[in-house]
Amino acid sequence: MNEGKEVFFRSDDDALINVCGLYKYFGKTEVLKGVSCSIKKGEKVAIIGLSGSGKSTFLRCMNLLETPTYGEIWFENKLLTPVDPYLHADIIRKSRTYKEVRAKISAENPAFTETDADKAAISEIKAHDLLKKNEGKSYAAAIKAFYKSNFLDADLARRKIGMVFQHFNLFNNLTVLKNMTLAPVETGLYGKEEAEEKALGLLRRIGLADKADVYPATLSGGQKQRIAIVRALMMDPDVLLFDEPTSALDPEMVGEVLSLMKELANDGMTMVVVTHEMGFAKEVASRVIFIDDGVIKEENGPEEFFGEPKDERLKDFLSKVL
Amino acid sequence: MLFQDIYRIISDKELIGYLFQGLGNTVVITVFAVLIGLFLGVAVAMVKIAAEHSKAMKIPAVICNIYTTVIRGTPVSLQLFIMVFGVLAIPGFKVYAAILTFGINSGAYVSENIRAGINSVDKGQTEAGRALGLSWGKTMRKIILPQAVKNVIPAIGNEMIALLKETSIISWIGATVGTITFDLNAAASTVNRTVVNYLASGIVAGAMYLAVVYLMILAVKLIERRLGKNERR
Ligand SMILES: Nc1ncnc2c1ncn2[C@@H]1O[C@H](COP(=O)(O)OP(=O)(O)OP(=O)(O)O)[C@@H](O)[C@H]1O
Ligand SMILES: [Mg+2]
Repeated sequence: MNEGKEVFFRSDDDALINVCGLYKYFGKTEVLKGVSCSIKKGEKVAIIGLSGSGKSTFLRCMNLLETPTYGEIWFENKLLTPVDPYLHADIIRKSRTYKEVRAKISAENPAFTETDADKAAISEIKAHDLLKKNEGKSYAAAIKAFYKSNFLDADLARRKIGMVFQHFNLFNNLTVLKNMTLAPVETGLYGKEEAEEKALGLLRRIGLADKADVYPATLSGGQKQRIAIVRALMMDPDVLLFDEPTSALDPEMVGEVLSLMKELANDGMTMVVVTHEMGFAKEVASRVIFIDDGVIKEENGPEEFFGEPKDERLKDFLSKVL
Repeated sequence: MLFQDIYRIISDKELIGYLFQGLGNTVVITVFAVLIGLFLGVAVAMVKIAAEHSKAMKIPAVICNIYTTVIRGTPVSLQLFIMVFGVLAIPGFKVYAAILTFGINSGAYVSENIRAGINSVDKGQTEAGRALGLSWGKTMRKIILPQAVKNVIPAIGNEMIALLKETSIISWIGATVGTITFDLNAAASTVNRTVVNYLASGIVAGAMYLAVVYLMILAVKLIERRLGKNERR
């Protein structure tokens, strides 16, 4: 299943989010086929691609709403997923398989230097997924130690990773104000009064202070989405993930949501936005990523991305949407 | 003839008093069975839902599945006989055993209702809760269950109404304990021994069942309306 699995580990210390060798299967369907990418503080990343290419799945893996099948997700240099041994050469070296494969390679290639043999052994183990056997104590201990010293609980990470959904997902059983204060109060980030004050301030900022005590069912789509955005802001997140935030809106409401997002971008918020709004990607994004068939086909600054696309599929895609 | 007999039952203090006593006992049996059923139903539903996310709940979920399958796959009269004359054949314990049987029986149906209610809440609600950093349990308690409860009130109301009528089979086992010596169904048979008109005693007892059921229907409607107020447009 792992054959040809391309793996590389980017240790990028100033990155907010590091996605390393991400694979995602739904049953037997391979939806993400080795995605690696890092998001730096202050970046605004737009993700575009055809329907079904895996954009949402990729975004939802970043905050673990979907569990990656292989690969690792790092947030602020903390590991959110189990350790993927294939991403760490020093862990592979602790395995019995490594000793066997390396001995064989050295014997077969007397001309190899130590480093050559080491590299060849590791890439052979990765390529053929050989780490399935019982690997013994030192291997297990290496994984455990690595996990223990780097792991961050997903619930804690999600407090700092906000998400805005296509269908808003405001809590139907709670008023607008309660929608906003529930998480910060329940997680102990703010006291009840503090949270309410902050929520009212945010509502005033988006011109919806009079809606504080109504239930979501009474709001328009644009109002719901703007409230969903400020609800995410209540947790003081370090990054906001948007999954097609304007796709479910009537055309006349798209503008109000996009302009709030632009405001956030100007305030320096780190944003990852899956979108079909090419205008927004051009204007706001500092980097655009094209996902096609579960891999990143091209990523670049918006100028080059839209001006001189290189990938054939991207050219084709852009000619259809622009 | 029929009307005379009905009038005789209603006007005879002893006969109608007997029926009311039976009705009271039926209600008491139902209330306790409902409480047991609700408790079991919520617990079993939570175990089954939790098992979708947690490995530790897998084995309890298998036990819960066996429970709901067996209970829903066999007649309640058989379950009653097995409990009263088999598992809990303790002298003077018949009524308790019967209440327990009805509760266990009801729990299986209630758990399925609650599970369906939880599953009927949009997945996006859970995702939004989790994405804000709330734990699974908190998301369940604060967001999903309040919405699920509203969805399942009609189904649970129906289940309770069915249970009230089901308890009539308790008269088959001749259960007596303390003040509960007969239910409404048994009282109707006793009254009939004096009046000797099955139709007359049946109509009076039936009207009493119907009156209680009607009150229950009204109560369900009222609760539904109060809970629904929040989300009305
Ligand atoms: N929970 C799931 N179970 C099974 N298959 C899924 C699941 N979620 C997504 N998929 C499949 O994975 C593929 C990628 O889905 P994804 O939602 O990531 O695409 P997308 O790029 O966001 O598309 P769109 O632009 O339509 O939103 C699709 O073929 C989809 O059917
Ligand atoms: Mg999508």
